[in-house]
Amino acid sequence: MLRLRRTLFAYLLGTILLVTACTPQPSSRFEQAQQDSTSRGASAVVKESASGGSFNRYFPEPGSEYERVYTQEKKGFAEAKLKKAGKEVAVMAISDILNNPSAVDKFKNSTEKIAGYPAVNQGSTGTAILVEDRFQVKVLSRDPSFTESDRKDWLSKFDLSGLSQLN
Amino acid sequence: MSQPIFELVDNLPTNNMTVMMLKSLDFVVPGQWQNLVGFENTIREVTGETDEEMIQQIGDRAVWLYNDKSQGYQKAMWLYQIVDSADNALGAAALANKVGNRIPLLGGLLTKVTPNPDKAQSLDLCIKLVVELVAFCQINGIPGDSIGDFVTALADYSGESLMRMAALICVDGLIPLGPDFILKAQSILGDTSPRELDSNATFKEVKDLIPGDDTDSQLGFIGESFDSVKGWMSDFVADKDLTPERVFGKFQGFLEFSEDKLDYVAAFLDMTTNYYEHTGTQTLARRLIERAIAEI
Repeated sequence: MLRLRRTLFAYLLGTILLVTACTPQPSSRFEQAQQDSTSRGASAVVKESASGGSFNRYFPEPGSEYERVYTQEKKGFAEAKLKKAGKEVAVMAISDILNNPSAVDKFKNSTEKIAGYPAVNQGSTGTAILVEDRFQVKVLSRDPSFTESDRKDWLSKFDLSGLSQLN
Repeated sequence: MSQPIFELVDNLPTNNMTVMMLKSLDFVVPGQWQNLVGFENTIREVTGETDEEMIQQIGDRAVWLYNDKSQGYQKAMWLYQIVDSADNALGAAALANKVGNRIPLLGGLLTKVTPNPDKAQSLDLCIKLVVELVAFCQINGIPGDSIGDFVTALADYSGESLMRMAALICVDGLIPLGPDFILKAQSILGDTSPRELDSNATFKEVKDLIPGDDTDSQLGFIGESFDSVKGWMSDFVADKDLTPERVFGKFQGFLEFSEDKLDYVAAFLDMTTNYYEHTGTQTLARRLIERAIAEI
């Protein structure tokens, strides 16, 4: 009897282990995006968007205190790091709204303007402006020493009138 | 369908041979690599954001970008995976219960390891370097054969990317080929025929993504790339005062081996680690997240 019980117990334990081992991972909070972005015809970047290379010339000059390092240049997107004394303090980016139209929504309640364009703070590290309803220009702090007012200052240094004519 | 990017980052190991090896190389690039794992963790770390709605939006956009094949991220991921996957069978089976202690590279384990001849090892080093260049261009979007842009960017490498290069120099250069690994690899590459290159297992895997119309021009591209990067590599070795002995000394923290079996250490690490895939996944996640937060 004891042996039978032991056998049964071992069998049961084995079954439990097998079942729990086969249970799928808990669904990720990004699972919906995974499904949507892999459905037929989905794309994150549309061919009508401007080339990343065409944005580079509108980034601000770094001046003597800072160093500007271009880091990414993809369709509809360009990005550069801003370094001070060798340390990354911020990133600057221009992106084409065509690739992510919902990015416009946050500007609808904007009460502030930088260089005449609607501006918003986003999250705790970013400030963005919207140029001609088409291009988003964003500065993100990567170090606490680089404050919101620094972000606004650098946003105003972009060649925004040049960028507005790219539309 | 390929595996979701959040799963790849969530499933990165926190303690295996690769992690132990990379940790032991901290002395080369102090503080640059902390083995950041988990997709959400990476979003928080890279962006400094704490707002849950922002984290959701950043992650969603990163997932979309990764899944758009026209953007090159999946090609880069594939390159990092394939260049490392030559032989990991030994790693999983033989080492399952040894992680955490020093692994004795003696007796039975040793019989499963065969050192690579210098030729194969040199080609592996050169091909891995070109894979880094091609993956860099796929991720960052610079035209695929722009060696000059890559060399400029190398000077700005940091974090897990710099650690990957440090490991390449130590584990695929200094240890198997010795202190003059740059000269040795270059001379061997110079003597390699297109036919020999075609028969190299690593090259076969990545051939389709190496710039060039045929093997001959691909061989030329590999040589040109190596030539452009060798100055950076020799400066790196000199600046950090790297020698095979110093690297071996650090590896003795997690591997037990005798001095006369040094050539086995490189082969063993080659078989049991996938540092290109590991740190490549981390680099890719970082770049995707950086782009995502700027686009939302």
